[in-house]
Amino acid sequence: MQGSIYLVIAYAIVWLGLFAYLAFLSMRIRGVQTELAAVEELVRESQEKKENNYGN
Amino acid sequence: MRIFLLHVMAILWKDIRYELRSRQTWLGMGMFVLLVLVIFNFTFDLRVDNVSAVAPGVLWIAFIFASLLGLGRTLAAEREQHSMDRLLLCPVDRKAIYLAKLLGNLLFIGVVEIVALPIYALLFNVPLPAALLLIVLLGTLGIATIGTLFSVMAAATHARELLLPILVFPLIVPVVISVVRATQQLMAPTVNEPPWIGLLIAFDVIFLSISMLTFQYVVEE
Amino acid sequence: MALTKQATDMISPAEEHLNSVDRGHPARLPIAALILGGLSCIGMLASIWLIFFYTPIDALQGVTQRIFYFHVPTAWTGMLGFVVMTVASIVYLIKPDERLDWIARASGEVGAVFLTFLLITGSLWGKPIWGAWWVWDPKLTAALILWFMFIGYLMLRSYMGRTPESARVGAVWSIVGVIDVPIIYFSVLWWRGQHPGPQITSDGGLPPAAVLTLMVSLATFTLLYCFLMVLVYQLQRLQTQAQRLHAIVE
Repeated sequence: MQGSIYLVIAYAIVWLGLFAYLAFLSMRIRGVQTELAAVEELVRESQEKKENNYGN
Repeated sequence: MRIFLLHVMAILWKDIRYELRSRQTWLGMGMFVLLVLVIFNFTFDLRVDNVSAVAPGVLWIAFIFASLLGLGRTLAAEREQHSMDRLLLCPVDRKAIYLAKLLGNLLFIGVVEIVALPIYALLFNVPLPAALLLIVLLGTLGIATIGTLFSVMAAATHARELLLPILVFPLIVPVVISVVRATQQLMAPTVNEPPWIGLLIAFDVIFLSISMLTFQYVVEE
Repeated sequence: MALTKQATDMISPAEEHLNSVDRGHPARLPIAALILGGLSCIGMLASIWLIFFYTPIDALQGVTQRIFYFHVPTAWTGMLGFVVMTVASIVYLIKPDERLDWIARASGEVGAVFLTFLLITGSLWGKPIWGAWWVWDPKLTAALILWFMFIGYLMLRSYMGRTPESARVGAVWSIVGVIDVPIIYFSVLWWRGQHPGPQITSDGGLPPAAVLTLMVSLATFTLLYCFLMVLVYQLQRLQTQAQRLHAIVE
């Protein structure tokens, strides 16, 4: 039946789309976590620098 | 109440004086509308028998683009003057600022439309009934209320001008539908039509209310 | 000695942040996400089984009608997303709490995704049934404008950044939109009333098996919506944290 092609494509798009979006989301979350870790390192370094300055 | 109106008039008068100085903008907008009307002659097959189906749409596309040009223009003027920042420092009711800006935009776009209407009637060989002026006024009001809300927002937040049409077009769809159908009704009346002019008035009232109520949130720091 | 003691007593904002920041186990997802994700999976499997093996084939439209069981839930979640976004924004205007803003932005993003699926499934359903990829009937037109609302919101928020002004502007946009979209629906309805076009919903009542399938599908998509919301909310929270730390360091 010709109509079933559209059915298959529709469900395929929704499924693939959902998974693609989930992958996209996890990529972004991971990216932000890396960035956050890096910035926290920077903050900690600048803290230590400041404490050294006060100590001297 | 009196102070409110005084504020509105003061701000409006300031804007008018500023716009009167730049006469090139008026000429530019007028030419733009004229050119849009002319180009449609080449894109559509406008013979006498289907003029009533196509002409109202053509007119309103020209007016919508002219309105957006006008809104963009006042947006640019705001930025040049930095007047919005200074205005917000004054103890003026935010609604007064909005109303003044709205009236300014209406005047600006209205003048261009009034000049364009006779040209439209000439080019497309259609009559110009007085009721059309009412429809044009109501339609422009609908477009301008939403347009002013977002153009002032764009000015106050230094947003890009390109964002304005993207924001305004989806919101003015009901006004566009009503105004084109009302214009078509004027040219070729049909039976069992919804009362488009009444709907236009309702839309204008709704849009005006929302815009006035939410405007303060868009400009406050 | 007194001077150094005074100096070390001062805690810089950065240190304060590091001490107080809710780490929230960045390596693992919050428990809510795992539960919702699991439930969504179960629901999806149940829905697929029901859709393809349980529900009877529609007499008029044949097999293609099954798209309906995914199409309607996307409409539901899209509208839910818009309502959540608007309510969160309005409450934000009254009581500015950045968590409300995170909810609004998350709902904007997830709603946009579901609406995109709505338009695609609607188009793929329309082609075999009416022979056209798109018709300007009130529901689809209103859905298209709603899609523009979501995209406009995302563009606006993305352009204006993470500021209170940005949140307020987003709120105004949602408020105008939530009033405008129903108006658009009725305008198109009255406009098209003269030339009634093809109807999108299946006419008449559905057999009970179909109703059950639809309900399960709706529940699944709602769970999916909640699952995605938790994830995007996390994303928003982390992004705000990162931005704040950047500001401290610079």
